Amino acid sequence: MSSEALADPGPAAAGDGAASLAIEGLVAGYGEVVALDGVSVTAGAGAITAVLGANGAGKTTLLRAVSGMIKPRRGRVLLGGTDVAGRSPEQVVRAGIAHVPEGQGVIPELTVEENLRIGMMSWRARKAERAAALEEAYGRFPPLAVRRRKLASTLSGGERQMLVIARALLARPKVLLLDEPSLGLAPRVMAQVMDLVVRLSREHGLTIVLVEQNARSALSIADHGVVLNLGRVVVSADAAALAADVALRHHYLGF
Amino acid sequence: MVEFLQLTLSGIVFGLVYAAIALSLVLIWRGTRLLNFAQGGMAMFTTYVAIEVIYRTHSYWAGFAVALAAGLVLGAACELTVVRPTLNKPPLNSVIVTIGLLTVLEGLAGILYGGQYRSFPTAFSITGLRVGGTALGVSRSDVFVAAAVLVATLVLAVTFRYTSAGLRMRAAAFNATIARLSGIRVARVLTVGWALAGLLGALAGVLVTPSTFLYPNSMDIIFIYGFTAAVLGGLDSAVGAVVGGLVLGVALSYAGGYVGGSVGADLTSLVALGILVTVLMIRPDGLFAGSRMRRV
Repeated sequence: MSSEALADPGPAAAGDGAASLAIEGLVAGYGEVVALDGVSVTAGAGAITAVLGANGAGKTTLLRAVSGMIKPRRGRVLLGGTDVAGRSPEQVVRAGIAHVPEGQGVIPELTVEENLRIGMMSWRARKAERAAALEEAYGRFPPLAVRRRKLASTLSGGERQMLVIARALLARPKVLLLDEPSLGLAPRVMAQVMDLVVRLSREHGLTIVLVEQNARSALSIADHGVVLNLGRVVVSADAAALAADVALRHHYLGF
Repeated sequence: MVEFLQLTLSGIVFGLVYAAIALSLVLIWRGTRLLNFAQGGMAMFTTYVAIEVIYRTHSYWAGFAVALAAGLVLGAACELTVVRPTLNKPPLNSVIVTIGLLTVLEGLAGILYGGQYRSFPTAFSITGLRVGGTALGVSRSDVFVAAAVLVATLVLAVTFRYTSAGLRMRAAAFNATIARLSGIRVARVLTVGWALAGLLGALAGVLVTPSTFLYPNSMDIIFIYGFTAAVLGGLDSAVGAVVGGLVLGVALSYAGGYVGGSVGADLTSLVALGILVTVLMIRPDGLFAGSRMRRV
């Protein structure tokens, strides 16, 4: 399996410098069902873009199509000018897009540290550099450091969310796709996760695409908001303007 | 008492061979959730390769090494060519494909090497070992068989537990989606898993064939024992596979040894099937399931 490493140019420029993500006319679906019908979304470099909408609007499919979990039928996914649409997930993460899927993203049978080490499988480095990256992750998330040798199944919901975000960051992405990171978390923990997302954007310059059911809390931290309905973009606006538009909120977001 | 000791020791030796087959099945099951019915056929084929090399070079070890290498290659080749297209299809497809593969391998062996029984050499003396005046019922060759399986198992266990490659394999087995999103090339990992399974099977074939003779169907019964051992251990557990192999080996040894004559010899396969059916009825998840329910 070392041949894999040889073929791989490594993290390259991943991690440094913000990159914008431009999704253009993306069409994707499952079998006969068209879940995305020409969706275009631009996520500004270093900004938080909230993708909102009801169940079945296509939010999760959008992230899955970007990260390569499903192959888009048409459209482009431009990461800083390079089209990554249609690439496999393994390639997309190497290009610099990390996807944190909804729900149980931890592997409970592995230890916390093993879960984190998986995050570094996409780039090649010396042992020392890996160790340093791990320590950096532990520094950012102290509760994980305490439990590094424990099975991930012993973590609380908030700690698990921390773990999957920490793991995604270890891939040194330029763009982070977050699918419902606050799902099932207690309000206080949810606020912590949202704080974390803000810090990743503001302090580390990460471009973040945030899919949320909880439109209110997502818009409170986002720079830009996009509303999907039945696989199409119905609104794309400044987050503050979106939150202020009462009619629109009532119509699409239910608050 | 001496008989008990002898039967137990030889049971352990055979049990370890079954464990090797069981481990190869577990390796593939964990990676792809499919049961490789061709595992025995692959082992039979690599054993033919070994015997041809031994005839030509007059070196047991050359045959041994080539068999293991052939196991690696054959495992990877089978995965890449016939199994890969069945992934993400209904599970029955891959089952049928591996059964088809078994038929092809056995037919091919018959065409290439003929159907007659061939004897297979051992690496070491088959003269029974003695401690003081007591015959142990096992030979130097048996000790080698046991040691070879134990070393292979240990190397595998350490690789899985402590190396990056091992972590990749575990991650891919537990959650392929997360593994792929993290950049692990899961398809490649599966191929490696099949290659390792092929190697384990080849090892088992070379080790067991001196006591069974070699013919195109010679590994069928060993596969059934290995499968029973794997089911006994729960199909998901490497430790379970080894323990299952040992339990089965010793049980069959007692059945064959205490029930005399030709009845005893015929009884062994019946006992194995009995154990298989009983486990599937009473504890279908194996003896080691229960505490390890997977949360999804």
